[in-house]
Amino acid sequence: MTAPNSTAGIFPLDKPGLLQAYRTMRTIREFEERLHADFAKGDIPGFVHLYAGEEAAGTGIMMHLEDKDRIASTHRGHGHCIAKGVDTSGMMAEIYGKVSGSCRGKGGSMHIADLSKGMMGANGILGAGAPLVCGAALAAKYRGDGGVAISFVGDGASNQGTFLESLNLAAVWNLPAIFVVENNGYAESTSRDYAVAVDSFVDRAAGFGLPGVTVDGLDFFAVYEAAGEIIKRAREGGGPALLECKMIRMYGHFEGDQQTYRAKGELDDIRANKDCLKMFTQRVMEAGVISRGELDAIDREVVAEIQEASAFAKAAPLPTAADLTTDVYVNY
Amino acid sequence: MGSAIGIIANPVSARDIRRVIANATALQITDRANIVLRILSCVKACGVDHVWMMPENGGIRHHVRRGIDRAENQGQTHFPRVEHLDYKISGTVDDTLKAARLMKEKGVAAIVVLGGDGTHRAVVTACGDVPIAGVSTGTNNAFPEHREPTITGLAVGLAVTGKVPASHAYLPNKKITVRVNGHEEIALVDVAVVTERYIGARALWRTETFRELFVTFADPEVIGMSAIAGLLSPVSRLDEGGLHVRLAPEDEASIVLDTPIAPGYMRGIGIRDYAPMKPNHKYRPSIADGSIALDGEREVSFTRDDDVTIELVPNAFRTVNVSGCMQYAARHGLMRMKPDQKLKRVGGQ
Ligand SMILES: Cc1ncc(C[n+]2csc(CCOP(=O)(O)OP(=O)(O)O)c2C)c(N)n1
Ligand SMILES: [Mg+2]
Repeated sequence: MTAPNSTAGIFPLDKPGLLQAYRTMRTIREFEERLHADFAKGDIPGFVHLYAGEEAAGTGIMMHLEDKDRIASTHRGHGHCIAKGVDTSGMMAEIYGKVSGSCRGKGGSMHIADLSKGMMGANGILGAGAPLVCGAALAAKYRGDGGVAISFVGDGASNQGTFLESLNLAAVWNLPAIFVVENNGYAESTSRDYAVAVDSFVDRAAGFGLPGVTVDGLDFFAVYEAAGEIIKRAREGGGPALLECKMIRMYGHFEGDQQTYRAKGELDDIRANKDCLKMFTQRVMEAGVISRGELDAIDREVVAEIQEASAFAKAAPLPTAADLTTDVYVNY
Repeated sequence: MGSAIGIIANPVSARDIRRVIANATALQITDRANIVLRILSCVKACGVDHVWMMPENGGIRHHVRRGIDRAENQGQTHFPRVEHLDYKISGTVDDTLKAARLMKEKGVAAIVVLGGDGTHRAVVTACGDVPIAGVSTGTNNAFPEHREPTITGLAVGLAVTGKVPASHAYLPNKKITVRVNGHEEIALVDVAVVTERYIGARALWRTETFRELFVTFADPEVIGMSAIAGLLSPVSRLDEGGLHVRLAPEDEASIVLDTPIAPGYMRGIGIRDYAPMKPNHKYRPSIADGSIALDGEREVSFTRDDDVTIELVPNAFRTVNVSGCMQYAARHGLMRMKPDQKLKRVGGQ
């Protein structure tokens, strides 16, 4: 059964938009769960940090962006890549370190980039994305093309000087730069309560003269609405802003993390009650705008897509010694 | 002996989208903590020795503790004993509900609330007949009156110690009860019916979705949804009924009202008509599907299958009459010090 098409005045997106949001979140979840399973087999080199549980934030923000808009991601970057439109097969191959990867297997999980999609890169160095975003935002402002640049940063990484300096610079130059703090409560195993001296990120933004907003990052619609206003403002020359998304990661800091710092029952509670994908599904189905069948059809397509990405990555060749110095240096 | 009071200070009010769309205030955590310290010294000055506080992880607690420790290190004694309630912090409105309930169980004589309309609403949901005193640290804040918290602290101290008699110290308040299939929610100031079916960023600012408004009082000096009612036909907090306003697209409206629906955010609101809202009478929303915003925040959505009623309830809860307490204190010389007291205060606290 297909549910009615009109969402006017009911949801902030039309039905295709809602289905797209679901597809993106579902793709991220499937991608990460596949990695979770495959990492345990020992097939994947390096570290992977999964974005599962945090999909609503990246998706709710990226739905407002075009390819010309740039983002700088974090070490936990797969979700940002997918939401920004990076090809999942290229990503998967990159994570496996294969030549068919987005960066020819030289970057791995923490350095996936695709400039054609405005994805300036995941980043293994905490806080390093924020200055890049100031540069990209300055370029957009200079070109006058209405583009914005968004820096994602974790609660832990928000303590880095680079991040705080960037807030200042963005305010001074009134850049179309947006700083998204993905506050999942932990930096590795250190809780935010311990490690962030000013307990509100909105207060931090205020310290640099920026407006800040806190939203429930598990609620796609809350993120979507707030991000929409912030991005629109930046496009129109209104300047930078900070958006704090309170969220939860479903897995460990990295794959293999024993998570001994979690309270007993915390993970079960997250799966049962704080799953952003479940919350989204429930809301659109309750409103009668989207049917279970429509979501199931997307699920099947997504599972097939990730299956394919995984097979592609596994079958692809590793770089050879001769590839060592290609694509590393650029002539100006 | 003095009665204990409670303080519920919400660290997460005033953080929503209205900071971006409307240049709304973002009162910092340290400012909130300083407000708590000011209130603490004022209630102590009136003879309150013991205060229960809501625990939270937003930072207020740590700053307050530091302030008290600093004073103790300097040998000062102008703060009462402050204890935090002991339970697992959820970081949600549940903390406020739990704190209000536990404070009631502990028999506090009043609860001072720092937050916006939403925080006050949560406290009223759980505090029963314990009087509350509001300090505005939120965004729209139609409910708490705006004044320096020092004065609120003094009035609470004078009220709970009986220096101002109860007949002058407290006031009754109305509330609106919203029931969706029997599930009950309340609003202290306004209930808005809007077409949106998602809660999202909660705040209301897209005027084209507004359909209907019910208010307990209508004050032209406040902002937010209740400002619409306030600018149409003022109703006081002590009047018996409220106001019911039906909205309309501008071309169908009988009045278009220029209204501050968020801080510094003026919008033309089309009015179809308005009438007194009768107490104890069940109203039903005029649209079949939509959401209900309580005190300016979308909270519940409903469809044609749901049974929704909206009812004004008089004498629903009590507030400390800050203005009344201070007038009484002045007229009866309550703040005139005795010679020995005067010596103590000189040069210090
Ligand atoms: C400059 C720098 N310091 C330390 C690290 C090691 N490190 C990697 S992730 C991480 C914690 C990051 O926490 P947060 O920013 O909250 O992001 P989350 O992992 O929670 O998404 C640390 C300390 C690093 N990658 N870069
Ligand atoms: Mg973190």
